[in-house]
Amino acid sequence: MMEMIHVQGLEKHYGDLQALRGVSFDVSRGEIVGFLGPNGAGKSTTMKILTGFLVPDGGTCEVAGKQVLPGDPGSRSTVGYLPESTPLYRDMRVDRYLDFVAGLHGQERAERRASVGRVIDACRLGRHAGRRIGWLSKGFRQRVGLAQALIGDPDVLILDEPTSGLDPREVVRMRDLILELGQEKTVLLSTHILSEVEATCSRVIVIAGGQLVADATPQEIARSRAAEMTVVLRVPDKDLADFDAGAIGRDFAHVPGVARLVSAQDCGGGTARLVLDVNRAPGSVATSGEPVAELVADTLAKRGWKLSELTWQGDSFEAAFLDITNPEHLEKRARAHREAVAKANAPVAPVAQASEEQSEVETT
Amino acid sequence: MRAELGTLGWVFRREFGARFDSASALTVTIVFALVAHGLFFFLGHPVGDLQLPSLWAGRVASLQVVFAWLPLLFVGLIPALTMGAWADERSSGTDELLFTWPLSSRASVLGKFFAVWAFLGLVLAIAILPLGMMTASLGNLDWGTVFGGFIGAFFLAGACISLSLFLSALFKEQLSAFLSSALLLGLLWSAGLLVHVLPPGLADAVNYASPYAHFFDSAARGVFDLRDLIYHVSLMVAGLWCNALVVEGRRWA
Repeated sequence: MMEMIHVQGLEKHYGDLQALRGVSFDVSRGEIVGFLGPNGAGKSTTMKILTGFLVPDGGTCEVAGKQVLPGDPGSRSTVGYLPESTPLYRDMRVDRYLDFVAGLHGQERAERRASVGRVIDACRLGRHAGRRIGWLSKGFRQRVGLAQALIGDPDVLILDEPTSGLDPREVVRMRDLILELGQEKTVLLSTHILSEVEATCSRVIVIAGGQLVADATPQEIARSRAAEMTVVLRVPDKDLADFDAGAIGRDFAHVPGVARLVSAQDCGGGTARLVLDVNRAPGSVATSGEPVAELVADTLAKRGWKLSELTWQGDSFEAAFLDITNPEHLEKRARAHREAVAKANAPVAPVAQASEEQSEVETT
Repeated sequence: MRAELGTLGWVFRREFGARFDSASALTVTIVFALVAHGLFFFLGHPVGDLQLPSLWAGRVASLQVVFAWLPLLFVGLIPALTMGAWADERSSGTDELLFTWPLSSRASVLGKFFAVWAFLGLVLAIAILPLGMMTASLGNLDWGTVFGGFIGAFFLAGACISLSLFLSALFKEQLSAFLSSALLLGLLWSAGLLVHVLPPGLADAVNYASPYAHFFDSAARGVFDLRDLIYHVSLMVAGLWCNALVVEGRRWA
């Protein structure tokens, strides 16, 4: 499948702040990809680099097979861009504004007329074509923003929070419009509304702290999260008298799909409660080929304990997103990145000296 | 090259057209014309080396008084016309789209420059033509010197506009752009007054560097000097080049 967006090792600094730390990803033709991350993650910076508005400090990016270069306006003709705040010339009429954008794309009169008509129809702006942009509602201004992005019939659309600030009805309309456009074009869509991503995107790229932290389908990301499984058991009285959390934890250490035992608690009345961190949903199949829930039940059965209740908190895209963009995880990743960069930049010791040092170590 | 001229033309059309979409264009034109008329008929030009009586006091059929006032009027007029050109794009965020459309920074800088320059030419013509026609009806007006003065003023305005646009590109707020531009043009204008208190060598250098000296000594007196036009064009090119550097440099921010 042809790659319409190819990003390799993007780096960007704003003064002392490192906004992007070696971001790489690809987007293929016809994909609608959600570009997610917390505020300040580097999403808008990446999008601005892809559209040629910013030049990266390191790395490269190609859109529709063309490298995006600052001195080459032609390389920007294959991208349609809707920035976050939908900045438009509010003093202009909708049709004249779109005609102006078509003119900047080098279109002649007949072509301009055709493409303005096409995008007005596509974005359902017909009744408002003669109105001044500043007089339109936020939803219609957003549509004008999308219309200008479509003027040059670009192969790639980059939409930075296209539904931000819209009422629920407009959100649905905009989502339908994006789905319609996604049938012909490659769309990279940034948003904070996770349900929108699940509804529209075939794939999700998550960026946080300037680094890529996930690149998968929304379902895969939801399943990837270590979730909590709570198990309530009926335990014989003799076992409750000698209830050893450490020993139970060791039982679960080798169960596929279970990360660790979080807690084991005697609840009295012949029952106990275990809380487990699990990597997969209870119904999903572990690497051993058996469902995780059955493996847990088998482990308990070996001790002669009966499972009376099993509850599961997880398999939620939102929970997974919060988990992978957790600041603690990000700090670990950032540290790993810094170490990798430091290692790569470290001066290579001369061969003779290196072998001398090695022989010293061997001698000692 | 043809494509670049095409995009430049579209930026020009948008910027020139935008001037007429608000009441500010009409206000600026009326205020400028009224002030020019008032100074011409009633005050004369009692400032600096080129001291002239008003039309009613001097009873000479000449527009020299208006041309002599133009540099000082430009100190307020040109920053008002240029302050929003870039600062407004930045504050409203429209520059983000402008620089992701397929046009070069050079085309956008030149498009904006020519739009303001053409608009100012129109304002000048609207202010000066009625004065010329009235004066011609009262006496024997030399239209050649009027034309020379107009061309000189137009090129002086071009140089001032390019400097003001460059300053507008440095700021996000229109007010900051206006004040810095008015300050710069005011300093350049007042350089003509300072030459009397400076040592001779320094005075000559300051006088030569000031764009207004290249107007007062020639076009304002009705003399058309090609060297002055070359000076103004050089200043325009320098201002526009710095302007393009600033807006293009923002990609590396």
